Amino acid sequence: MESIIKTRDLVYEYYRRDEDGNVTSIDTAVDNVNLDVEPGQFISILGHNGSGKSTLAKHINALLVPTEGTVFVDGKDTSLPENELPVREEAGMVFQNPDNQIIASVVEEDVGFGPENIGVPTDEIWARVERALKGVGMWEYRKNSPNRLSGGQKQRVAIAGVMAMEPKCIVLDEPTAMLDPDGRAEVIATARELNKKKGVTIILITHYMEEVVFSDRVFVMDHGKIVMNGTPREIFSQVDTLHSYHLTVPQVTELAHELKKAGLPIPEGVLTRDELFDILTANDIMSKDALAVSVRLKEKPQRSVDDAVLILDHVAVTYKDGGTETPALKDVSLQIYKGDFIGIIGHTGSGKSTMIQTLNGLIQPTEGHIYFEGKDIGDDDFDKKHLRTQVGMVFQYPEHQLFETTVVEDVKFGPRNEGLDDKECELRAFEALKRVHFPDDAYEASPFELSGGQKRRAAIAGVIAMRPRVIILDEPTAGLDPAGRDEILGLIKEMHDHSGETVILVSHSMEDVAEYVDRIVVVDKGTIAYDDTPREVFTHVKELEAMGLAVPSVTYLLHDLHNAGYPVDDHATTVEEAEKEILRCSRT
Amino acid sequence: MLKDITLGQYYTADSAIHRLDPRVKLVATLFFIIAIFVANDPIGFAFITVCLAAVIIMSKVPVSYMVRGLRSIIILLLICGLFNIFLTPGDPIVKWGRVQITMQGVRAAVLMLVRMIYLIIGTSIMTLTTTPNQLTDGLETGLRWLNYIHVPVHEIAMMMSIALRFIPILSDETDKIMKAQMARGAEFDGKGIVKKAKAMVPLLVPLFVSAFRRANDLALAMEARCYHGGEGRTSMKPLHYLKRDVLAYLFIFAFLAAVIVLHILF
Repeated sequence: MESIIKTRDLVYEYYRRDEDGNVTSIDTAVDNVNLDVEPGQFISILGHNGSGKSTLAKHINALLVPTEGTVFVDGKDTSLPENELPVREEAGMVFQNPDNQIIASVVEEDVGFGPENIGVPTDEIWARVERALKGVGMWEYRKNSPNRLSGGQKQRVAIAGVMAMEPKCIVLDEPTAMLDPDGRAEVIATARELNKKKGVTIILITHYMEEVVFSDRVFVMDHGKIVMNGTPREIFSQVDTLHSYHLTVPQVTELAHELKKAGLPIPEGVLTRDELFDILTANDIMSKDALAVSVRLKEKPQRSVDDAVLILDHVAVTYKDGGTETPALKDVSLQIYKGDFIGIIGHTGSGKSTMIQTLNGLIQPTEGHIYFEGKDIGDDDFDKKHLRTQVGMVFQYPEHQLFETTVVEDVKFGPRNEGLDDKECELRAFEALKRVHFPDDAYEASPFELSGGQKRRAAIAGVIAMRPRVIILDEPTAGLDPAGRDEILGLIKEMHDHSGETVILVSHSMEDVAEYVDRIVVVDKGTIAYDDTPREVFTHVKELEAMGLAVPSVTYLLHDLHNAGYPVDDHATTVEEAEKEILRCSRT
Repeated sequence: MLKDITLGQYYTADSAIHRLDPRVKLVATLFFIIAIFVANDPIGFAFITVCLAAVIIMSKVPVSYMVRGLRSIIILLLICGLFNIFLTPGDPIVKWGRVQITMQGVRAAVLMLVRMIYLIIGTSIMTLTTTPNQLTDGLETGLRWLNYIHVPVHEIAMMMSIALRFIPILSDETDKIMKAQMARGAEFDGKGIVKKAKAMVPLLVPLFVSAFRRANDLALAMEARCYHGGEGRTSMKPLHYLKRDVLAYLFIFAFLAAVIVLHILF
């Protein structure tokens, strides 16, 4: 079949210029790429941040033209100016940030934007808008303002906006990086459906491994080159190679890989939970006769209220908007002890953000009291500013708050607000930057020149420079690739383990949280649903699902095995624990 | 929640005025403004008042919404009124030493007050019955002729509608950055202008950076969807004059003509 997308020896170079326009350095973002995509395929491109995958994507839409080599979209050379618009019509593109690609203030008008641009007659625009919105399941929302939609819904509108141009191919450039798990599933399901039902070629660029399992072909990029190419099974069979490109594999694949290493007869490249379940049960690998473990409930340490750093005592928060009142938190009581490492989990809109913002006085509770080290923070004589230095809060995408001319100056902002002298501020800044492993040579750099991961470290340093006793981090890994995610989480663990600080991690990624924290608080509809160890919390698989939360996939697997009569302990939450349990019950 | 802030203050209702073409309403507002400055006697204003009242009733918008716009300028109105009363030369009615109130002064003050109040009410009828989007569309189509003198009408209208889309997003973002900086001990309620201005830096710099980043992303997304200016563009919701619009135009012309005739006769 004729390829719909064909690149030949594609090279793209970014030129960095100094103020006089002289070239100071050349970065080769895409290096000699030969790519062939057949019509109707679902293709995934994997790679860590900076591997060149987004630059490659922009070539397919003629947003960039090659420095060397050629790109053909449906036989049209993208470097010819007259092909620019036809190519963009045929290969649509969906971007990462859902807010920044919706142009109109009404959903239907936004979907009509593309057809308007290519001169489609009015009646035909309406027909296309209807087809496109129905195709992504957003027809009922056509009169809505995009600001009222969830992230996943916004991305579906963006996909509809591309579909209305009736393209043969859609490039999705990390469409799920800024979404919660529900939104991610929504967007991927939509893309798969368009691929299957309408035969649209899909090129999905992502670093979430779970999303590529269903694709026909996977390409892995590193340093601008395509380094791996094959079916998902072929790619995920090479776990160690993937690790060397700073990529991870789905939890289940990782587990199968580890089990194989331990000697069980399991093939490489297991992709789904059901597949591994079938392999483990069908081949008589596991025995039902192994001794069931008596669930060893760890004695919960008895802690008295005196050890609590922060106490929420029957706290309720109600937002007033004109005449309507929306309760965000209802009667929440929680004790946070010195040295706790807590994960707060909840669906978007569950009230978890409101809850953490009451902890440092950014949001006033409508009812109830909050105590910090025994003192009521609602008291008139309570020093709120001091509280904020003691309960440090790292917001989502904290790099968006950087503003100073150098990194050090920015980190000094917090200590300076405390009224400390310059020498002390400097000392605190250096100490904080060292703790986040910030590279020495970039201390004096402008925060706006840093890479994404470095910016985030600098921003976190800006909070820990105030030497808080409690650190709250809201989705600290949002938008990072797997390597960046592991680094930041490792850093947070280090902060907790080495200095015994109280750390509160807010996240909707169960797998991240399970691996690090010792206590999980699940927030749902403004109340605390569970407050226990990860092992205990994750036994409530059904209830968590009903709240729109998913447990780690290995927990699901062990749960299934347990229900099938195998005496595994279904409390395992990490790959390591699951491996141990399965090996214990295996026949070898 | 700042999510629903829109420019203007559209009042959702289904009335004859709401359904009119935005171009008609723009022209009507312009004619109304001309009329209140042409009229300068009680008979003229009585006629305008009757017409205005009729339109208000037709629009189904509660009068309290119309008057709301007046609140913010009440001080300005009072000051202007007082200046007119006391400082207009002419035949004195009351006199205390050097301070005097003249016949002409009172007349000028009343005239000015009525004009200002009608101006506010008249324009708010337009903004209350027309969504910002319709207004942008109306301006784009209605002012298309300005293209001949090289005014980039399409581009201006596009900028306006993008601004409308991003104002709530940026105001949300302002809120977030403010909280993030407060969490680092920043205070935004400092006293004194210098202190206040200084406190704004940690808020404004990230906000500008973010606005530029968004603008960049948006430009790319628009280009990816084949946007290449107004040339060769079709419209999803083109504006067409209907019978009621023609009728409305007739009324508006008749209204202005009547005001001018009254002005000449009396």
